[in-house]
Amino acid sequence: MIGIALVFFGGVVTLFLGLNKAESKSLWILRFFMLLSAVLSGAESQGWIDFSTLFKWVPSHMLSFNAFKLSMVSILSFFGFFILSLLPSSQKKGADVLGLFAFALTGAMMMVGSQHLVMLFLGLEVLSIPLFVLAGSEKEDIYGNEAAMKYFLMGAFSTAVFLLGAAYTYGGSGTLVLAEIQMKLSFAAHFGEFPVLLKAGVILMSVGLLFKVSAVPFHFWSPDVYEGSPNRVATFMAVIVKVAGFVAFAQLINTFSPMQIWINQWIVPVSILTILAGNIAALVQKTVKRTLAYSSISHAGYLLLFLILPMEENLPILGTYLLSYGLGTIILFYLMDKYSADGEKSFEMYKNIRNNKIDLAALVIGSLSIAGVPSTIGFVAKYQLFSAAFSQNHYSVYLALLGSAISIAYYFKPFRYALAESNEVDVKQVSNDGLFTQICLITGMLLIISLGLLPMITERIF
Amino acid sequence: MEFILIPILASLIWAFLPIKSRWIASGLSLISLVVLLTKYNQGSFPDGLVVFDQPWLGESVRFTLVIDQITWFMLFLTQLLLPIIVLSVKDQNQKLIAWAFLMQAGLNGVFMAQDGLIFYLFWELAMIPIYFITLQFSEKDNFVTTIRFFIYTFVGSLAMLASLIYLASLSGGSFAYADLLNTQLSHAQSLIIGGGLLLAFAVKIPIFPFHLWQADTYTNSPAQGSMLLSGIMLKMGLYGLIRWYMPLAAESIDFYQPIVMTLAVVGIIYGGIIAIRQDDMKRITAYSSLSHVGLIAAGFFTLNSSGFNGGLLQMLVHGLNVVGMFLIIDIIQKNTNTRNLSELGGIASKYKFFTVLFFIIVIGTAAAPLTSGFPGEFMLLNSVFKYNSIHGVLSGLTIILCAVYMLRIFQKSALGSNEIAMSEVSFVDYVPLIIVAFSVLFIGLFPQVILEIFTLSVEKLMLDISNAKGVLS
Repeated sequence: MIGIALVFFGGVVTLFLGLNKAESKSLWILRFFMLLSAVLSGAESQGWIDFSTLFKWVPSHMLSFNAFKLSMVSILSFFGFFILSLLPSSQKKGADVLGLFAFALTGAMMMVGSQHLVMLFLGLEVLSIPLFVLAGSEKEDIYGNEAAMKYFLMGAFSTAVFLLGAAYTYGGSGTLVLAEIQMKLSFAAHFGEFPVLLKAGVILMSVGLLFKVSAVPFHFWSPDVYEGSPNRVATFMAVIVKVAGFVAFAQLINTFSPMQIWINQWIVPVSILTILAGNIAALVQKTVKRTLAYSSISHAGYLLLFLILPMEENLPILGTYLLSYGLGTIILFYLMDKYSADGEKSFEMYKNIRNNKIDLAALVIGSLSIAGVPSTIGFVAKYQLFSAAFSQNHYSVYLALLGSAISIAYYFKPFRYALAESNEVDVKQVSNDGLFTQICLITGMLLIISLGLLPMITERIF
Repeated sequence: MEFILIPILASLIWAFLPIKSRWIASGLSLISLVVLLTKYNQGSFPDGLVVFDQPWLGESVRFTLVIDQITWFMLFLTQLLLPIIVLSVKDQNQKLIAWAFLMQAGLNGVFMAQDGLIFYLFWELAMIPIYFITLQFSEKDNFVTTIRFFIYTFVGSLAMLASLIYLASLSGGSFAYADLLNTQLSHAQSLIIGGGLLLAFAVKIPIFPFHLWQADTYTNSPAQGSMLLSGIMLKMGLYGLIRWYMPLAAESIDFYQPIVMTLAVVGIIYGGIIAIRQDDMKRITAYSSLSHVGLIAAGFFTLNSSGFNGGLLQMLVHGLNVVGMFLIIDIIQKNTNTRNLSELGGIASKYKFFTVLFFIIVIGTAAAPLTSGFPGEFMLLNSVFKYNSIHGVLSGLTIILCAVYMLRIFQKSALGSNEIAMSEVSFVDYVPLIIVAFSVLFIGLFPQVILEIFTLSVEKLMLDISNAKGVLS
């Protein structure tokens, strides 16, 4: 809860203080609030401090945070801080864009903490509406306009579908509180048959969320939108939306856990399709950004496998996976942004990276981690997820492993230009970032490696 | 643990401190050899000595390292070859050494790991550096070759990971070697699990239809990459066969034995015949390596003690010989700018000492009696013959084929009237060659010294395998 308050407050303060300044100046304020939120929520999730008396007035059947959700809020704030620190800010005046980032992040946290379908819907909208604007925040860019339009239409449509599902659920159960729905369902489970309205409700709500996390067959918008949006916004969509979306999704499926067997029947095919389609489509992409977009689709597929597991005791797996996915994705997006500054969009951009040792290390570590190669956190996350899913469904894990094998082909593509000595032709010197950015980057790399070699730390976090 | 930490430290030192001498690098890599030799008593436990044990992930995965005689022998192979390889690194490829040290850490971990997931972790950790070595220091754009190599092995490793997860789910979630060993499998389960493990090892060894990555990767890699791959990394696959596949999925051996034996024999002959037709010396060595390791794999699959002992001995011998061959090719290429037999000739008339070392390594590889290749190959052929006389006769062809292509290399490059311009071979280049040539003669004369290192553990291992097989029958 302290996270929502801090980030929202930070957004408002940034808007006021940054009214007439260049964006880069007011950025510090927002970064500070995000980091503070990450630290305080993290400390609260470990039980070191307790803010619950401060927020007694919030009805707990609407919005409440347990230890896992607090750590997810902490991670969301950290990712927000990480994105705003790594990816460069625009030189324009005014802090409107920053404010929108803060409000979108608030929405993401509301989704994480929601205990009520209306709250979940509210979080979804608070997350989405600023992003519609952000996608088109480069007003002169024609592709940005296309992206914003596409994202708006798709997003509006999917939330409408979600809302219809929520309405059906209300019709079937007479309540919108998640815990009460679950109770009603476990009564129904005794009689063996579930109301059709509830089945339709969970399917429609899932479709709405599948749109948000861009799972096959609702993924077509995401490569176009990522490509058109400014890089910072695309990273935000790829990371924050997915992290919040999957925590909320897990919560929703957990609510309907009495029908788990029936739900698994359609989650598993969707997951496998997403993994395979995402990975195979990523193979043939020409630009780096689209490849990363398809990579994030395939990761949505792996994460969908999580939904077939019994939820409560397996939540740390979800946390670890989201952490590893976010770290790797942000680093790769950052490098893509930095080396595409001169307009080069294909993988050839990476030939300029060879003179910059830190960026080169970040490329290697980020790619290895997101591909799931051992000694990185990406492996730990994938291993935990797959071995847990294996006890539920063998074949989906075999196919997911096949997908990981395919993904090597495109995750390693940059190395051709970045490393092979024989390619040494007209290397351009790309200017170095500031010290602060480099420190952030090194922190990210160290997190990936240290959590990969000492995974017992993640057990402490979640 | 020291065998993992020392190489990692050495790698960090090399990557971040500005030292540029091959001698210092060799010295760094000698440290772990010295440490290993002082710990010879650790390697005298046939049942294995737990040297490190800490929880790693949850209840199920423990970071357990164990040294028994076979492990000690594999560690010895790694630590012995690494200084030789490091000493031969060209001056412009100095950065390669840091990767090589990292790979050493991974290899040592593979040989010591006594927990399924830790084994997998190190297995991949050994894989990453060699990928970057082959990619970064190759002579031409090598991306397609290396990515094929990586995907081949990665698919194999993922199959292994799936098998290990499956096996652990049957053993109640624990990845510990002992728990995996004691898990009883049904026939169908053992076929799936064994198949996954076998696929990983067959790609790495490589056994005949899975060898497609091999020749190109060897040819296009820098010489040190080829040495690391063929000298040490192939042995990971062979070691995996006897330590992980056979005891854990023993129920499936009866099913896979005839398949693997036949494929291995096919690979022996196929590799030999193709090697005869090649012009590039590196390709010849690549195919000869395919042929030799095929014989070792066949020897292991006969499941008798002559096959196991001979195979282990031959692992060391093949490691030394193939590294020696790549050293020679590297020196010839460095000094003449070619390694095609059709352009070479007449080295013997100018460089007497070099040619003598060259010849010793050639006959060692061709397994002439009293050289290192002979005892191991004899034991292996003996075991294959005991398994099935047809297989035995066919795999015996390896001696003839190997003599043909090895002597062809020597004849076309060293002999003949073709006066090739060649600059002086430097002292640094001679040192590793002398070590290898000495080992060829030493092991050829006293094979028993090497065999005694691991005999007891081999007996223990074979007992484990036959016990595990006996569960079903």
